[in-house]
Amino acid sequence: MRCGVCNRNSESEFCERHKKAYENLMKAYKVWEKSLGISWIEYLCRIRQNANAGLWVKEVVQHLLVQNARKKKSEHDEISNI
Amino acid sequence: MSLKTETILVLCEKPNAAMRIAKALDKDSDPEKKILSKVSYYEAETDGKRLIVVSALGHLYTVAPKIMDRDVYPVFEFEWVPKYKIERNAKENKEFIDAISKLSQEAQEFILATDYDIEGATIGYTILKYACGGKEKEAKRMKFSTLTTDEIRKSYIGLLPHIEFLTVEAGVCRHFLDAMYGINLSRAMTVASKRWSGRYTTISTGRVQGPTLNFLVEREKEINSFVPTPYWIINAKVEINGSIYEAEYEKAIVESQAEANDVINSCRGKTGKITEIEVKKFTQNPPTPFDLSTLQTEAYNLFRFAPKRTADIAEHLYLDALISYPRTSSQKLPSTINFRSILESLGGESKYQELTAKLLRREILLPNEGEKQDPAHPAVYPTGNLPERILSGPEKHLWDLIVKRFMAVFGEPALKQTVKVYVSVDRHRFLLRGSCILKEGWIAFYKPYVQADEVILPSLVEGEEVKIKDIAQEEKFTKPPPRYNPSSLLKKMENEGIGTKTTRADIIETLYNRMYVKEERMVVSDLGFDVVDILSSYCPEVLSADFTKELEYKMEEIQHGKEKMENVLNDALNHLKPLLDELKTHEKSIGQALSEAVRKARLQGRVFGNCPICVTGELLILHSKRTGKRFIGCTNFFKRTCKASFPLPQNGAVKPSGKSCQICSWPMIKLKLKGKRSWVFCINPNCASKEGKSK
Repeated sequence: MRCGVCNRNSESEFCERHKKAYENLMKAYKVWEKSLGISWIEYLCRIRQNANAGLWVKEVVQHLLVQNARKKKSEHDEISNI
Repeated sequence: MSLKTETILVLCEKPNAAMRIAKALDKDSDPEKKILSKVSYYEAETDGKRLIVVSALGHLYTVAPKIMDRDVYPVFEFEWVPKYKIERNAKENKEFIDAISKLSQEAQEFILATDYDIEGATIGYTILKYACGGKEKEAKRMKFSTLTTDEIRKSYIGLLPHIEFLTVEAGVCRHFLDAMYGINLSRAMTVASKRWSGRYTTISTGRVQGPTLNFLVEREKEINSFVPTPYWIINAKVEINGSIYEAEYEKAIVESQAEANDVINSCRGKTGKITEIEVKKFTQNPPTPFDLSTLQTEAYNLFRFAPKRTADIAEHLYLDALISYPRTSSQKLPSTINFRSILESLGGESKYQELTAKLLRREILLPNEGEKQDPAHPAVYPTGNLPERILSGPEKHLWDLIVKRFMAVFGEPALKQTVKVYVSVDRHRFLLRGSCILKEGWIAFYKPYVQADEVILPSLVEGEEVKIKDIAQEEKFTKPPPRYNPSSLLKKMENEGIGTKTTRADIIETLYNRMYVKEERMVVSDLGFDVVDILSSYCPEVLSADFTKELEYKMEEIQHGKEKMENVLNDALNHLKPLLDELKTHEKSIGQALSEAVRKARLQGRVFGNCPICVTGELLILHSKRTGKRFIGCTNFFKRTCKASFPLPQNGAVKPSGKSCQICSWPMIKLKLKGKRSWVFCINPNCASKEGKSK
């Protein structure tokens, strides 16, 4: 299996580097949600802009946002077809 | 002098030291300078004896594998060989070996006067053994910590009967271990990469280099996977007697925006009351004398000198007899060095006159010593000699720092006071902080190298009312741990007990030279990551600081006569063999991974930055097919979407500088012409920085 972000060999969706970044991202969302009451997507957008966020975290964020956009597009297409 | 006069060969480590030693020992302080096959040496006369004072150039011999073919590993048989036979840049060493060999034939006695430490002893041992024809057992030893005339003469009068054999054994063991690990592991990786890609690139690691790189990689991983979380700070402006003071909210970190809003809304425009005033007085002891690593840390913090640069400058100051031997771990200053006479001499320099006079008025001079010890040398201290030549800027800075530190350690503790004023507004409390120095003590001697940020508050009483003029919140985010810089990495190596005071700075330099790290804040490159990834997959032991620490401990035991070199080398061999077998078994996959990493690193090293024209492409050095001339072009040229190109000088080495032009923000390049200083300039031919230069 290949990492969805960097294409390195991996055992799951992400390689070791991006897996750790993803775990940290999930953990930190709880703090952001409590402090600012923002949605998951809004959170991702803010992390993408944040200068203190790590490189691998930003790569995961980009990957998740692209995935989300694709998902939305396919949902939109499905509705259009109906 | 008659032909039968006894001749003594005095062997020094560096040419400057030889000159000072010859001058100090000659009965007229005027030794005769001679030259033998391009090597200078001195002839002096003392007590009716003829002294030949000659120097080495640091190590003249090195440990090399008996099998020289770089493609062969493992290799476990090593020997001492002249350095010039192994290293391309060591041709000068041959002349020194030849000259010392020849001069040794005239001598009946031998004195080793190299630096009194593990490397100095090893340098001397190898030269006495191999260049002087086995004189290591009969040579006597001079021990000194400064190159002042007095100390050199005393050291000559009180010659030690022989060289320090246990220290030599530990030194030799270190060289063999370093070669065994460094050569085998580096060859394994280099060969793997070469066999896969067909291109030769040195990929090195070693028993200290591996764990050091691993510290950096671990930190880089933390930074790269760091997710910041928000918090808020609240500051208020408080009016007291017509002046405005900054007060901070009692809770340094407010975790939610709602809570921060609540505090602001309740306090805005209100009047507060001083509910508590807390005054604390405390003393701050003088700093301890410099050992090498604290000197390197301080010089980095104050002047941004990399550790290796500090060590090199300190070496120059030592060879000029301005400071004591800098490669020391000691934070102790024995009274035998005569503090009073050093201060008296330093008073000869007008800028130190007032400060030294202040100290000399004291009856007793007692330094505030640190805990670290070194059996060979005291802490770094100024000898009291004043410069005989004009010092360079960096030399001046470092010498001044050492002189002022020396004076400061004799200073009295400083007396400081902090004031905390609590202001209650509604149900919230704010804090006004003040601080001042009541008695300078040692600080007076260590200026400008100590910062005293004073905030003087007006006199206040509990119950007094103050007006909140303004209150604001600021959104902040948690930060990742800081990257190591050369100074903090050196500290980390020292705390982890890996490397020695002499080798640590060189290891850090090697990490830069191998392109494993870049920039002052040490950013690990992809190549650095890949080397650690590969080693951690196939032989993680090589990255373990614990193993290296254990070896360091064993080498110390050798020096204390509690361990034997043979045992340590055998243990290391048994440890290393299976690791190398593992590397050999996986040579193909290791080679593939390393080759890819090297290819990426090379490409990265050629990128000058993003194309300022199309923004998406990267700028690289390209060559014109028609003329063969080099220029900078955009990678999008190959996609036919960008034709940006910029001229380059056709001579000299061109590298990305890693900087952007401050005027036009375009990438800058570094040009190095042979024999000239490198030149950094902007690639933009129309940049305002170039106006008038072509005229």
